[in-house]
Amino acid sequence: MDKAYRTIGKSILRTDAVDKVKGLAAFSADIDLSSPPLVLKVFRSGIPHAKIIKIHTEKALAIEGVLRVFTAKDIPGKNLLGIINKDQPLLAADKVRSAADAVALVAAETEEAALKALDAISVEYEKLPAVFSPEDAMAADAPLIHPKGNQLAARFVKKGDVEAIFQQCASVIERTYRTSMVEHNYLEPDAGIGYLDVDGTLVIYASTQNPHYDHKEIVTLLGVPDDKVRIIQATTGGGFGSKLDLNTQGFIGLALYHLKRAVRCVYTREEAYLATAKRHPLTIHMKTGADATGRLRALRAKIICDTGAYGSYGIAVMSRAAVHATGPYAFEAIDVESLCIYTNNPFCGAMRGFGTPQIAFAHESQIDLHAEDLKIDPLQIRLLNALRPGSETATGQVLTHSVGISQCIEAIRPYYESAISQWATAEHHPYKKRGIGVGAMWYGIGNTGVQNPSTARVEMDLSGAVTLYTGCADIGQGSTTILTQILAETLGLSPEQINVVAADTQFTTNAGATSASRQTYISGNAVKDAADKLSDVLRTEAVNKLRVSKKSLVFADGCVAVATNHEKCVDLASLAKRIHAKGAPLVWQGYFDPETVPLSPTDGQGIPYGTYAFACQMAQVVVDVLTGEITVERIVAAHDVGKAIHPENVKGQICGGTAMGIGFALMEEFKPGETKSMKDYVLPTSMDMPEVIPIIIESHEPSGPFGAKGVGEPALIPTAPAILNAISRALNQRIYTLPANLERVLDASIQSGHFAGRKK
Amino acid sequence: MDQHRVTITFTLNGKSVTMDVPGAMNALTLIRERLKLKGTKEGCGIGECGACTILVEGRAVNACLMLAAQLDGRDVQTVEGLAHEEGLSLLQESFVKHHAVQCGFCTPGLLMSAKALLAENPCPDKAAIAQAISGNICRCTGYQQIFDSIRHATGAPTGEEKT
Repeated sequence: MDKAYRTIGKSILRTDAVDKVKGLAAFSADIDLSSPPLVLKVFRSGIPHAKIIKIHTEKALAIEGVLRVFTAKDIPGKNLLGIINKDQPLLAADKVRSAADAVALVAAETEEAALKALDAISVEYEKLPAVFSPEDAMAADAPLIHPKGNQLAARFVKKGDVEAIFQQCASVIERTYRTSMVEHNYLEPDAGIGYLDVDGTLVIYASTQNPHYDHKEIVTLLGVPDDKVRIIQATTGGGFGSKLDLNTQGFIGLALYHLKRAVRCVYTREEAYLATAKRHPLTIHMKTGADATGRLRALRAKIICDTGAYGSYGIAVMSRAAVHATGPYAFEAIDVESLCIYTNNPFCGAMRGFGTPQIAFAHESQIDLHAEDLKIDPLQIRLLNALRPGSETATGQVLTHSVGISQCIEAIRPYYESAISQWATAEHHPYKKRGIGVGAMWYGIGNTGVQNPSTARVEMDLSGAVTLYTGCADIGQGSTTILTQILAETLGLSPEQINVVAADTQFTTNAGATSASRQTYISGNAVKDAADKLSDVLRTEAVNKLRVSKKSLVFADGCVAVATNHEKCVDLASLAKRIHAKGAPLVWQGYFDPETVPLSPTDGQGIPYGTYAFACQMAQVVVDVLTGEITVERIVAAHDVGKAIHPENVKGQICGGTAMGIGFALMEEFKPGETKSMKDYVLPTSMDMPEVIPIIIESHEPSGPFGAKGVGEPALIPTAPAILNAISRALNQRIYTLPANLERVLDASIQSGHFAGRKK
Repeated sequence: MDQHRVTITFTLNGKSVTMDVPGAMNALTLIRERLKLKGTKEGCGIGECGACTILVEGRAVNACLMLAAQLDGRDVQTVEGLAHEEGLSLLQESFVKHHAVQCGFCTPGLLMSAKALLAENPCPDKAAIAQAISGNICRCTGYQQIFDSIRHATGAPTGEEKT
């Protein structure tokens, strides 16, 4: 039952596009104030684990143009940051836990003076033994990185008796998978600028995914009242999870608090590499069993996440990896243990997918191994096992609606079959092997088994003009456009008629983080809730004027009209004035929090998410067996998004996620201490991109705004599994460690006998 | 620090500019900090990302790798020079229409690389476009909508069907 929408489902002009193509959108480093801001630079430890004995700042302070050098003792409030667990000081007080740890903050008149000051600071340390792998960190004699031990947290998901079922399985596969540390490499390095307002408020413009979280952290850090800090999201050049942490904001807040002068902090790319979160490298031991027909029955997994020196979003990654370990398939019995372990590596946090891209590499390799073992077609075995309405997930949640995985798989099928019958068999160079691979995924929208509400405010003035106030940070994915569409549709307006105030803590209420693919579903619903309330008061008032029942009224072109006769209408401005005269509200607050049930700490049973996105992708790859070079020729990507509110935005997410997935599959690996700048980090360019065919599947989600779910993270998740499965088909040799770079592919080629030109 | 200073004169977005600049200053600093044109971005500072791409004599270059002094006597264009009185250029219109803009940080540099390409080759195929923008990293879009935008930017017939 698809209604004829005015705006929903239409790829309207993005709210920010024109400013961006003109070069006028002001990112944090672009904002000019009336007087030049002071320059902030951070002194970082450079050593992975040590006690701080003494910090020497005298020489730095003597440099002309240097105003202050701050250390931990200058922090007036609580010097501990972290969205889930608080374990990261803004400035190290007693010890450093990674080479990136901030120890001192310089404020100077010029960049030159600030850089000289960094050179002039010295710290006396007592070095401590350091550990760089979770295995070493879990050893009995390992040095303690944090006082409570090196295991930050554990998540268990258990259901049924896996061992008993493995005994009955015709096919049992057990393997170990490893994934790399990945750098987000958003194009805009972290930056922010702050000034003191006339009333003493600390105003901070920042490149951020979560202004309200930033606000809370800075208020606590400085020990000041809520209304003395205002965070405004500047135009933000991508985030992909890393801008969920406080990066420059805390430093700006601290300097503003003390100096009461405008300050700017802009990371170089090198500092963004060194000091911001990375994707967790995971080690995944997985054992799965299937019956002779290919039906998956039992899964056991042990997952180890290296969170580096601090927790950041590590607990979320650990939990999400565990909850998603089955992939989009039904199992009878599960036994998953997922651990989050501190090391002295750079801290790892949120990155697009929160552990799901890593775990998908494991479950999609496993299902392909079963397919090979049982001689079943890879697409067929996925279809056989796909979750459907009525299926029960690993956490005991019964899915009722919008389970579009089978539709995604079926959408791939024509491309898959023609690739097999035509492309794979077409004449090609003997040293360039062709492979077709499939990858599927599911992804819970929103945070895992915890409340994660969003709010929004919709306001109509007496002229009938509508303003949306949302805390939601648009980091380039287009959420402001989407929220505007949802509001415009509800009130029968054109999107360009809506004013938007977004991501400013003084004027907007909390919409939660731009993460977990949650803003369309959760903030979209909050906006819709507010819009519905305003709609109701407008239609109620229109009843008086039009003398028909409320349910026969619709919104049309800035009026409320009788559904069957649009000539009979009353304009919004008249209604607004009448409502106002009666003292009824024209300002409405909206709210939404998905229905979840916290997961049991012992067996992970519960309802982690209100809804799930699903996807299936196919990759066609060519493997040069003599060089190890991989060419991805085509990706077909079918994604169930519930409803595509803005189809071209959805396609943009799919294509962009696919590119990031290609990087994750084939090239991206951040090596602490070695990867220092973009010259050391390989990521996909235009030359690496295949043809991508995005296919939008719309399996209506009743709890979503106009049926929508989310797509931001799902876009990336199936790509690496599809590519790795394709490489495996091409070489007849599987790679278990990401990325499948030249060395690993060449090694697989040699192992399989292709390098010598022999068939195995 | 004592620095040799040089006086340079160049054409910036159609207007002549004369400035006194330190010899060691790069073109990106000149454009952003002295001329206050903030459309040209710094993404890496070492010529790897392309966010600072400008046109010098019509050729796309990384402003972070060029000295300000090297602009002397040359024609320089930045993203601010693309739109005209009547509105956006065809290329900008095409980026908007084909949804090639997400976070927008790479957009100015991409527009400049695309402009240089189209001046040489008004009907580029996908391979030519990919080559021309290979120095411009975009982390958001996966490039596909950017390919489409550039291919449809001239109004000239395209060699391939839109995917």
